[in-house]
Amino acid sequence: MSKNISINVHHITRVEGHGDIVVDVKNGEIVKCEWHVVEAPRFFEAMLRGRPYYEASHITSRICGICATGHATASLRATERALGVEVSEQTELLRKLVFHGEIIDSHVLHVYMLVAPDFFGVGSVLPLAASHPEVVKRALRIKKLAGDLCAMVSGRHTHPIAMTVGGFTHLPTEGELKAMRERLVDARADMDETIALLSTLPWPDFERETEYVSLQKDDEYAFIDGRIVTSDGFTYDLDDYRRVTNEYCVPQSTAKWTKHNRESYMVGALARFNNNYDWLHPRAQDAAEKLGMKPLVTNPFLNTAAQAVEMVHCVEDSIRIIDELLARGIKEEPLYEFQGKGGEGVGSCDVPRGILFHNYIIDDDGLIQGANCIIPTNQNHANLQHDMEALLPQILDKPQEEIRLTLEMLVRAYDPCISCSTHLLNVRFK
Amino acid sequence: MSGGQRSLSTLIVGLGNPLRRDDGVGVRVAEMLAAQELPDDVEIVAGGTPGLELVNVMEGWPRVILVDAAEIGREPGAFLRFTPEQVWLAEETFLSVHDAGLREALLLAQVLGVLPPEVVIYGVQPASLDWGEGLSPEVEAALPDLTAVIRAELSVQGAEPPDLEAAWPT
Repeated sequence: MSKNISINVHHITRVEGHGDIVVDVKNGEIVKCEWHVVEAPRFFEAMLRGRPYYEASHITSRICGICATGHATASLRATERALGVEVSEQTELLRKLVFHGEIIDSHVLHVYMLVAPDFFGVGSVLPLAASHPEVVKRALRIKKLAGDLCAMVSGRHTHPIAMTVGGFTHLPTEGELKAMRERLVDARADMDETIALLSTLPWPDFERETEYVSLQKDDEYAFIDGRIVTSDGFTYDLDDYRRVTNEYCVPQSTAKWTKHNRESYMVGALARFNNNYDWLHPRAQDAAEKLGMKPLVTNPFLNTAAQAVEMVHCVEDSIRIIDELLARGIKEEPLYEFQGKGGEGVGSCDVPRGILFHNYIIDDDGLIQGANCIIPTNQNHANLQHDMEALLPQILDKPQEEIRLTLEMLVRAYDPCISCSTHLLNVRFK
Repeated sequence: MSGGQRSLSTLIVGLGNPLRRDDGVGVRVAEMLAAQELPDDVEIVAGGTPGLELVNVMEGWPRVILVDAAEIGREPGAFLRFTPEQVWLAEETFLSVHDAGLREALLLAQVLGVLPPEVVIYGVQPASLDWGEGLSPEVEAALPDLTAVIRAELSVQGAEPPDLEAAWPT
């Protein structure tokens, strides 16, 4: 086959940030197939240095408008483990609850607003809202529920203010919890519709097994704390996260790449699904069955489907948590006071896009002397590159436009958050 | 201009990321207004970067005032008041360079028919969007005028509507 293809997708659409796809095929030979990340360097690690420990979670929650709770939680866990702070069961329950809200919030955005347009053959959620308003309205309804769940626990939408070292400065009332429980039960219908919608989508046919990395716990589907596990059979304590991430630099990316047992690994909903399927709520396992999914799922496009399964799980587990909170009764608890002794700690959460690490060194004055933060999207870049290299030869006989679209869909499947950047409104007056 | 003449429940949303210098101007303005005396039917949200959640945040309010950093082709610190009808929101780059922001949320609300009847945007020209905290001196200097204008717009009885004719693009 002698075919020339040149694809250069500058700043791919419908991902959170900046990334380019560059493909060059000459006479049927692949000359270039690269995933470029053009992320501006981040300075938040430097921003943290010299700041008091109690500011860290508020600063880092601003890293990302979507994963604000995830960053705040990982940050709080790093601080608490550095300072030896024990948190109460009530705090653990509330953190899990708000975390579920964020998982639903982020996943519904990705599934409906960023991925669904590909399958409806439209360029964005806007024409989708015009042609299928009920689909987009459902998405916004789920998003509102998730946002309200987060606000109920953490004090406000998007950026959690009530979450603090050792606990919460604000607690939901019993009335709020009961009302939220009712809405969550009602949301089952929207979850069913979501699974029904996804079960009709023609996912691209592509398999490539890789190493799947996530948190794991013995008693629940892990999002906060636990141990690091990989599908290749490795287990690590959180403190040893660097043995998994092994960050290195590559010329095509301003973001660092990572690798562990293979040339790359994958994090995110699909990795969690593969590693922790047994702990999914039965309704979520049922949803997975409707989507034809059972571990080990090796089609990366199905990361989006795994997100939908997790939405079902988080709705059900939120109901369970609220029941437990109501049974225990909400209690005011004393907040942590600094004891004049610093230390080092690692906090980890499996946020919507995958496993996240925060690592702080805090001195005896309570000031942060060092900070390291490894975000999930950076851990996926190398895997995305290898997927692309494996996928391209399989679709080379397709028209160039279809190749471009399929590669874009692959990138979007990872839900990459390349740069938690500004949102500057560009104004052109009429 | 109708804001100065009748009483409307109003939601004020300050948008932006305070870790990106002047991008945080909306949040700063929201915090300043929240610390001042305002009519009872005014609610203020320091919205940060809610993306498409803004559609939900705005829904049901008769009037929404949005404050955000904006590329308006002016000197840093200059600000303009405009409505969605006065600017080209729709462009082919929907959800491209940045993730969903104000423009996308307004468009989506429009298409779904849930855009509040009155939406007013105050766009502030930034000097710097680098990673870092604190506003540039130019944008900092604009804050007294900007908050005064928004307060005038909010006043129910007897207040003069803000005279911003001079601030209109030519």
